This record gives sequence, C-alpha cells and structure tokens, in this order.
Amino acid sequence: MKRRTTIWLSLLLVLCMLFTTGCIEELGPFGDLPGTEDQTPGGNHDNHTPIPPADPSELRNPGANPNPVDPADLPAYSGDAYVAVRGNMPDFASNELVTTSFEYYSPLDALGRCGYTVACIGRDLMPTEDRGSIGSVKPSGWQTVKYDIVDGKYLYNRCHLIGFQLTGENANRENLITGTRYLNIDGMLDFENMVADYIKETGNHVLYRVTPIFVGNELVARGVEIEAYSVEDGGEGICFHVYSYNVQPGIVIDYANGNSALSGEELPPVNGDEEGGTGDSEEDVRDYVLNTNTEKFHYPTCSSVADMSAENREDYTGTREALIEAGYDPCGRCKP
Amino acid sequence: MTVFVCLDDRGGMLFNHRRQSRDREQIADMWREVGTRRLLCAPYSQTLFAEGMRQPIFDEDFLSHAEAEDCCFVENKLLSSYVSSIDTLYVYKWNRTYPRDTILDIPLPGDFRLTEMVELAGYSHEMITRERYER
Repeated sequence: MKRRTTIWLSLLLVLCMLFTTGCIEELGPFGDLPGTEDQTPGGNHDNHTPIPPADPSELRNPGANPNPVDPADLPAYSGDAYVAVRGNMPDFASNELVTTSFEYYSPLDALGRCGYTVACIGRDLMPTEDRGSIGSVKPSGWQTVKYDIVDGKYLYNRCHLIGFQLTGENANRENLITGTRYLNIDGMLDFENMVADYIKETGNHVLYRVTPIFVGNELVARGVEIEAYSVEDGGEGICFHVYSYNVQPGIVIDYANGNSALSGEELPPVNGDEEGGTGDSEEDVRDYVLNTNTEKFHYPTCSSVADMSAENREDYTGTREALIEAGYDPCGRCKP
Repeated sequence: MTVFVCLDDRGGMLFNHRRQSRDREQIADMWREVGTRRLLCAPYSQTLFAEGMRQPIFDEDFLSHAEAEDCCFVENKLLSSYVSSIDTLYVYKWNRTYPRDTILDIPLPGDFRLTEMVELAGYSHEMITRERYER
C-alpha cells in the first residue's frame, strides 16, 4: 500500500466525493468557486496544499491510478466537456513525485483496449519533429464515420492519451483510443496545451497520467481521467484531476462497438448481427484462449494451445464477434 | 489606472486557481509598457518575477490601493468593481486554448476602444498578441 502522509490522506478523504463542474464562472473571489478553495495559491486563501515530498530513497515511478473513477458515480454529460473530480487533486502519492523524465504505456488488454499511460514529462521528452502518420492504428471500437454536424466531419479521432506535443508519440497503439472529435479537442487538447506550455516556460517536470475508462467489455471508452501535477513547484503551476467525456453533442454512441447515430435516430445493429440486436446471447458467449503475440484466438481444446508460451496465453470468456472487433483472428486449425 | 491581464482564446484567466499560462516575454513587454510608473500585483504573481529582476509592489488588496497613475497586473482578482477606475487596459492573448473556470468579468470592448494591437514572439508561446484598450 502506498505510503501517504496523514495530511494527504485527510485531504483525499474529504475531497473524494466532491466534484466541481466544468462550467464557466465569471471571475470572482476564489472563495466563490466550489470544492477547491483550499488549493488556492493566491487570492483569499493561503493554503495551497502540495503533495508532501517523500524521502528521496523511497521514490519510484508512478503506476496506475489506485482508484479510477466510475462513470456511474459522475454526473451525466450536460454540456461541459469535462468535470473536475476529487477536488481537482491528482492521486499521485508522495513517493511518486519523481523529477526524472519517463513515459509508460500499458500493453493492450485481451480486447485490444488501451490501459493507463503515465509520464514524468520534461523538455527532453517533448517532440522536436512534426507529427507523423497515425492512420495505420485502429484502436478498439474504431469506425470511420462522418457527420455533417461534427467539426471536420469525422466522428472519431485517434485520440492520443498522452498528447503528441507532450511526449512525441506517433503511431503507438498503446497510446491511441477511439475518441470523438469533441473529446479530442474540447476534452483533452486544452489540458495538453496548458501542460506543454508550462514545461516549455519553466523547464520543470509534470507528472501526467491518462486513464481511459471502459465499462465491462465495451470497446470504446466512456471517457478519460486526466491527472497532472508539476513536481518542482509542488503543484503551484499545474495541478488538476478531471474526467473528460467521450461524447459528441448531437450524436449517440454505442460504446460496446462504436456504432453511432444522430440523436433521436436508431442506432444501427451490431456488425454482423442479422437479428439487429445489440446484446450478446448466452450461446454466443464461450471460452477461448488468446495468443496475444499472434493475435489469434482458439478453442481451449485446440492443439495449438499446448504449444503456446505462457506469456502469450490469455484465457477469455466472451463472444467471437468481440474478439474479431478487437483485432483477433480465428485460428485456422480449430476454426473457432 | 492601467491594468494588464492575460487571456486565452476564450477569455479564460484561471483553471483550478492557477494561471492558465505564463511567458517571460510577456512580463518583459509589460515592464516596457509600465516604464517608470509603479506596478502593483497580488502576492500570487510573485513567482513570475525572478530574483534580480525589477520587482513590483506585492499587495493582496492592490486594486483598492492603486492610484490613478499606477499600473496593476491582474491574474486572480475581480475587475468589474474597479472598471470605472481603469483608464487603459492591456490584454495579452496567448493565442491558445486552455482549460478555464474563471474568465475576465468585464466585457470588451464595452466602454473601451481598441487603440493598438501588437504581436510579439513569446518564449514558450509562438506568438502573443497585445491589445490596448482605452476609455
């Protein structure tokens, strides 16, 4: 269990259920802003509360968010691209406040979905060349679909979890999710701009973690949780913790597969489902064995399974269609 | 008095009680415009003025204490209560969008007129636009 000081634990306990909306407040005394008064480095409050530093010998790179948000606990999207969560304080622990640049991208899961990404971003990680092509990557749930009401027409973008301007990652499939144009621009880019410009200006490091939030076996994330904290100045420059909605105003999305329709219209059926239903029938769900290296799936009784190395093997219970949508191919021997 | 503020493309000033952005070239340009006058600002702005540089007067209630010929750099204060005292308003635009939960609370141009627009290269921003509004 991570070691935190009493102050930090108390702060988390007090703030863990507080959410501040992303709505625009006209400039007023800081005390007018709900939920985050105690973090104010100026204004009417003097109690900016940084994450207390740990003994340098105990430092280690941060891992996954210990307590990712549950979309069911958040307010439904109501016009703001993001909401602050947990008092806008990130969940980094004292012994995670490192000042050496690093970046980490989780391996894709059995459904081909991204996991969390985390980095300590300094100038040395930032790109020095223009962005390359990322069109070769098809993130989980990817569909190419256009609507006139979407800026740029395309509903879905390949959304960098950690933006290109921060770590210079191009076609890294462990850093790209299927995200709406709205998420990409209104929900993520502003935060990336803020962090990138701060690092360029100060030369400081920013801990930055993005966690895509999937529900069950859905292939399209419901949103992303973004945490950031400037290390050298104890969060005075950068400190936020937000959830950005993977929505597109005027369009409804089936997060199970990425299907979409204009609001008020019926969602198209699941790909390949002649009955037009969107649920998986009980007979569709069965056990498979995945080879995460070859990206083939097998019946558990297939002779190829015995030859599979343990590190590439993953057991899976679900539907054939979900595996194919996730990029897996059926084994040519057992023909699942 | 003369007031200086920094805004993003949507009129934002702060997010989570923190300035949206900063740039040393904006500070340098502001000092050039201040000239020999006094510059007042909140203690919150202190980190923008490095040791060894010319220092403003830090005062939590600086807008109330400013005199007619003074300059005020405003990052985190209500302005609408002081609008009648403002003769000249400088707006530095980052030409970027940032998250925001606090925006400038006086309409522009409103009772002001835009008298100057200058583009300057920033240190961490490609281009900063300085607009001057006068009553």
